[in-house]
Amino acid sequence: MDPLHQRAVAVIAHIDHGKSTLSDRLLQLTGTVSDRDMREQYLDRMDLERERGITIKAAAVRMEYRAPDGETYEINLIDTPGHVDFGYEVSRSLAACDGVVLLVDAAQGIEAQTLTNLYLAVDAGLEIIPVLNKIDLPAAQPDKFAEELAALIGCDASDVLRISAKTGAGVPELLEQIVRAVPSPKGDPAAPLRALVFDSYYDSYRGVVAYLRAIDGHLDAKTPILFMAAGTEVDADEIGIMAPDAQPVERLETGAVGYLISGIKDVSQAKVGDTVTTRPRGATVPLPGYREPKPMVFAGIYPIEGDDFPILRDALDKLKLNDASLVYEPESSGALGFGFRCGFLGLLHMEIVRERLEREFDLSLIASAPSVGYEIELTDRTRRMVRNPSEMPDPSDIEEVLEPYVSAMIVTPTDYVGTVMQMCQERRGELKEMHYLSTERVEIRYQMPLAEIIFDFFDQLKSKTKGYASLDYEPAGQYSSHLVKVDVLLNQQPVDAFSTIVHRDKAYEYGKTMTERLRKLIPRQLFDVPIQAAIGSRVIARETVKAKRKDVLAKCYGGDVSRKRKLLERQKEGKRRMKQIGSVEVPQSAFIEALKLEPSGQS
Amino acid sequence: MTLVVPSELRSERWRAEPGFGVYVHIPFCLHRCHYCDFNTYESRGELHSSYVEALVASIERSPLESPPATSVFFGGGTPTLLTTAQLAEILNAVRRRFGLEADAEVTIEANPETVSQASFEGLLEAGFNRFSLGVQSLVPKVLTGLGRTHSGERALAAVAEARRAGATDVNADLIYGSVWESDDDWRRSLEGVIDAGVEHVSAYALTIEEGTPLATLVTTGRVADVDPDVQAERHRVACSLLEEAGFERYEVSNWSRPGRACSHNVLYWSAGDYAAFGAGAHGHLAGTRWWNLRLPRDFIAAIESGVEPRSGSETLSPAERAGEALVLGLRLVSGVELAAFEARFDGALAGRAAEIDALEGLGLLERADGWMRLTERATLVANDVSCRLL
Repeated sequence: MDPLHQRAVAVIAHIDHGKSTLSDRLLQLTGTVSDRDMREQYLDRMDLERERGITIKAAAVRMEYRAPDGETYEINLIDTPGHVDFGYEVSRSLAACDGVVLLVDAAQGIEAQTLTNLYLAVDAGLEIIPVLNKIDLPAAQPDKFAEELAALIGCDASDVLRISAKTGAGVPELLEQIVRAVPSPKGDPAAPLRALVFDSYYDSYRGVVAYLRAIDGHLDAKTPILFMAAGTEVDADEIGIMAPDAQPVERLETGAVGYLISGIKDVSQAKVGDTVTTRPRGATVPLPGYREPKPMVFAGIYPIEGDDFPILRDALDKLKLNDASLVYEPESSGALGFGFRCGFLGLLHMEIVRERLEREFDLSLIASAPSVGYEIELTDRTRRMVRNPSEMPDPSDIEEVLEPYVSAMIVTPTDYVGTVMQMCQERRGELKEMHYLSTERVEIRYQMPLAEIIFDFFDQLKSKTKGYASLDYEPAGQYSSHLVKVDVLLNQQPVDAFSTIVHRDKAYEYGKTMTERLRKLIPRQLFDVPIQAAIGSRVIARETVKAKRKDVLAKCYGGDVSRKRKLLERQKEGKRRMKQIGSVEVPQSAFIEALKLEPSGQS
Repeated sequence: MTLVVPSELRSERWRAEPGFGVYVHIPFCLHRCHYCDFNTYESRGELHSSYVEALVASIERSPLESPPATSVFFGGGTPTLLTTAQLAEILNAVRRRFGLEADAEVTIEANPETVSQASFEGLLEAGFNRFSLGVQSLVPKVLTGLGRTHSGERALAAVAEARRAGATDVNADLIYGSVWESDDDWRRSLEGVIDAGVEHVSAYALTIEEGTPLATLVTTGRVADVDPDVQAERHRVACSLLEEAGFERYEVSNWSRPGRACSHNVLYWSAGDYAAFGAGAHGHLAGTRWWNLRLPRDFIAAIESGVEPRSGSETLSPAERAGEALVLGLRLVSGVELAAFEARFDGALAGRAAEIDALEGLGLLERADGWMRLTERATLVANDVSCRLL
């Protein structure tokens, strides 16, 4: 199709604001999916089928739209991942578009993550089509939220489309608006191929499937290609479009959106943001904006059963095939045994990985306290990165510690502004900007240490604002901080799993919380067990588990010898499963409980 | 009667053969106590006569080959819910079937509510020579909490009645460390039974047993759980008051006047052999243990239809048997005699040498004069030691 009739758009929306339902209506109205084949949440269901190996992912769908003016347009709907940790992936999806549909629930208004993605789209110079969805809901307040969106985008409230993806009301008008407002691709058909990879995943049957848009030039099936950043040289075994099922094609023209299967076995060879060109005589300059995925949050992940270590290693290797941003290396902990130090894009990414490891590989895992990466300048002027408290040099060797900061955006009802500001300030936040979206809702921007967010900030924010506030954050450089390493010692023996790096002002509170928590979790032993928190050799908090005085069967007569023996055997088995820290026996559950909700010092 | 006290435990006789005991279970009570997890059922007497018949029949039919009994123990439940004549009939069956050593100890458990001077006289007449009374406490609020329906006065009166009837071996069972009891209450109960002139005291830390009404009260938060520190302290008080009054502790929870230890129970702790009769009763013979059907009705029905009333059994491996014997033996203050134990449980101690050395190093075990025992410090944390020796 000629470029003038091509459109590429993404829908940016908060979860539950109706993106899937809108996709259904678009697929139906354009006849991409017949009414007979139509099922609710069509694309989501394809995702489930993909998990079971039935189909490949619909990261982009091509629809043919016959407009009232008699012309037929090709609309490519590009999917965007929905969370803060995947901001970079979102930015690449947006880079493959010429416009976005900003879809907002007419009963809820815009949320922080949507706002971030909106700003990304604005920065990318994309055409924005503001849409209020769910206008059929009794709780909808379209006038109010239209004002809010208009103020954000700088348009008139009357320009905000009002639709109900559920009933289909207003969706034809939206299609028309996409065709009219979103520009056609401006790439150079005569130039060598430059195709932007905006998504890729590993399929156990087909290998890596990369989704791309030919920005300049064109891509022919079977031709030799190069992933410019990764340096991967392969052949384009199969190229095609999703409509919504995969349809192989011979050529992807300038502006076309499609998929590429080329026998790659690992997504790190075909990363999001990479540029695909032809070889030998391909493009010399890649498309702008490629970035190596950069892990921000680190944690040790250990199998609860030590025997599961090889399974964990294989599981991480498998996940890595599909997740170029996951990094890991083996580490061992005196307390937790053998495991891996893993790096994640953020907390959600960490949760997703952990959940997949447990669910898909049937593992029981324990994670150490998450930490961020610190850049440390030593007194000898050398620098090093510390991603694990155990790597922290002696305080006397440290000249300066730089810690990563983020720009955190919180959208909250005005009623909670005070609460939110107090929370941020307690977490060393510095107010950067405050912007009233309307008389009832505020966007607040704080600069704050990432470490303060990764503990329980999000949960606290949700609970203190009755669930109304939303949060998003993006990296914002690193700054010098007064950070110290706090160790926790059991009977004088440091327990690596509990060591942490915290701001000096928070050290005492961390030490106090951990020692108190452990006092309740560690069973009484035959001797007093001191639990200490210390910075270097300076003890800042101390608790004692008093020696147990009584652990004996009161009665043991002829009638219950068997039962009592079994009782003792169970007790013995329990002891066998405990970790030995020096002379102290610590049940696995104590580690799990103590690490469950890392104290941020304010809770 | 063979009365085994710490010094006498070392006698040649015990070393060579711990003896042979007969246990008889009477699974009936007037009222079930809140803490009790024994095999017993509240009874108004409807099953008593058929149960006695079944019991006698099962004793008579027992195929067990054994020496004459050195001890007999009627436990429950409340054996004294049966008539003296019924109890005499059962004891006679034991005597006929197994024979009794001339000095055999014959104990019967009794509830203070179900005895009188006359009944004690009758029991002595029938051949019972040791009475174990469920006193538990002398303090009303503690008795109420435990679900006991007799008063402290009745319990003391029962001791006096036994005494007047001519009993020379009376035990008082006590329970300490319930949440209803204060330090003072515990002293009062101890002093009360000491003053009553008993020869033997069994004092048990209250244990919340699964499935009991008390356990339900604790798990639902209506009654506080027992405090092990409080119980340890009460045990210390028991040691000190009883020793002051001339008792010696010879097992974790048992004290006696010199020469008045319960030989039947010592048999258990010596991993000895014993036959067992009645619903839910457990017997043991050379590493094989068996147990009977728990429900009185099932027990009776089995006997009536000529079937073994056995519900299960286990045969311990030599290693299990040795571990169990060691754990049981260490409950005794005297501990185990190393040479005799090693001879009886071939190499069991040599195989545990490293653990034993380690426990000695920790100050939990001590070896002296050819015996091995728990240190005083280890007595109340014996489970830690047991776990390492099993």
